[in-house]
Amino acid sequence: MQRARDFGMTSCHTCELLLRVPSHRHTHCPRCGAKVHVRKRNSIGATWAFLLAAMLMYLPANLLPVMTTVYLGSGQPDTIMSGVIYLFINGEWPLALIVFVASILIPLLKMIALTYLLISVQRRSSFQHRQRARLYRITELVGRWSMVDIFVVALLVALVQVGSIASVYPGAGARAFAAVVILTMLAVMSFDPRLIWDEKKETGDRNG
Amino acid sequence: MNDLEPVQRPERYLACRECDGLQRLPQLAPGQRARCPRCGARLARNPVGGLDRLFALNVTALLLLVLANAFPFMMMEMQGRLQSTTLIGASAALYQAGMGELAVAVLIATVVGPALIVVSMLYVLTGLRFGWRAPLLRTVLTWISHLVPWSMLDVFMLGVLVAFVKLEGMAEVVIGPALYAFLALILVSAASLSAFEPRLLWEKLAREKL
Ligand SMILES: [Zn+2]
Ligand SMILES: [Zn+2]
Repeated sequence: MQRARDFGMTSCHTCELLLRVPSHRHTHCPRCGAKVHVRKRNSIGATWAFLLAAMLMYLPANLLPVMTTVYLGSGQPDTIMSGVIYLFINGEWPLALIVFVASILIPLLKMIALTYLLISVQRRSSFQHRQRARLYRITELVGRWSMVDIFVVALLVALVQVGSIASVYPGAGARAFAAVVILTMLAVMSFDPRLIWDEKKETGDRNG
Repeated sequence: MNDLEPVQRPERYLACRECDGLQRLPQLAPGQRARCPRCGARLARNPVGGLDRLFALNVTALLLLVLANAFPFMMMEMQGRLQSTTLIGASAALYQAGMGELAVAVLIATVVGPALIVVSMLYVLTGLRFGWRAPLLRTVLTWISHLVPWSMLDVFMLGVLVAFVKLEGMAEVVIGPALYAFLALILVSAASLSAFEPRLLWEKLAREKL
């Protein structure tokens, strides 16, 4: 199958009108007014920047407590992992599994997947296009579910405010964890999946 | 494919947004969707019911949104003290606990995002249906697609479930009336998003010179 790029054309990212766009330059879509580039501008650089920032936040997100429960005067800090373990030992293992996948596995796999996609695109790999395209699509789809733990913290903080008996406070880990989720979402949005299909032989600038 | 045809008749063609594969715009019956034969991405769809159904879904969503925000959706009784929370209450609690930026993120994901999507959809659809040349119509239609990933009511619902299980151990937890509105809202929003095909709206916008 030929690419629109081979015809000197591109679909407008906003309204999908097929347009003639000179490579390395941009044009304005006559239908919606959006600025149209052949490929997302500086896609690889921006994706790396968001991804590295997310990796940096991943450690504090998992090591620092996301919340502290003060019960009858004594405080109990909870990390993401200890929250999963709590659910598990209380017999709620289906829920424990869901939270483990959403909070720990998905962010980790997402960062590995993006790293792999970035490196393969930079090396102009022609390996398994379709599988890599699917990997990108799954990464895009599941990312937001990692926010679930932030919502749990918000709910517990809002509900457990029984003065001296029991109170829940958000911890610094929650801030770092939300940053990881948001940064990886931004990384996925910056990545241009069309780069996966750009073949080795061409000489054009991938960042259009 | 004739080498010049896509250039001469671009309106008959479409480039896949995920692999740039150039192909003929598929002719779809209502309810049908087409996938890109090369990369498997969704290429186009022709939602059943067109704009009228999308409009009705968003009017319903607006009503549910008001209900879901007006009443508490979760209550907890501990040592004789009753504590309840609304959607906005969850963000407010984070703000009061000194986590302003986290409060903003939760507020966008649960209140501002979903509300902006529904209101923007109704604004654009009103313009399109009644031929009203609304100001900023193009801008509003453009930002709907950007807002969608940040609206996380479905994820929040999973959070409610987890919080419910965690609290059950130490207190009496009751589900509030807003939770039912909230569940319905998630279903209606999902239906609305699957009926939302921006390309068709842009085509109509251009056709009617709005
Ligand atoms: Zn356009
Ligand atoms: Zn494709």
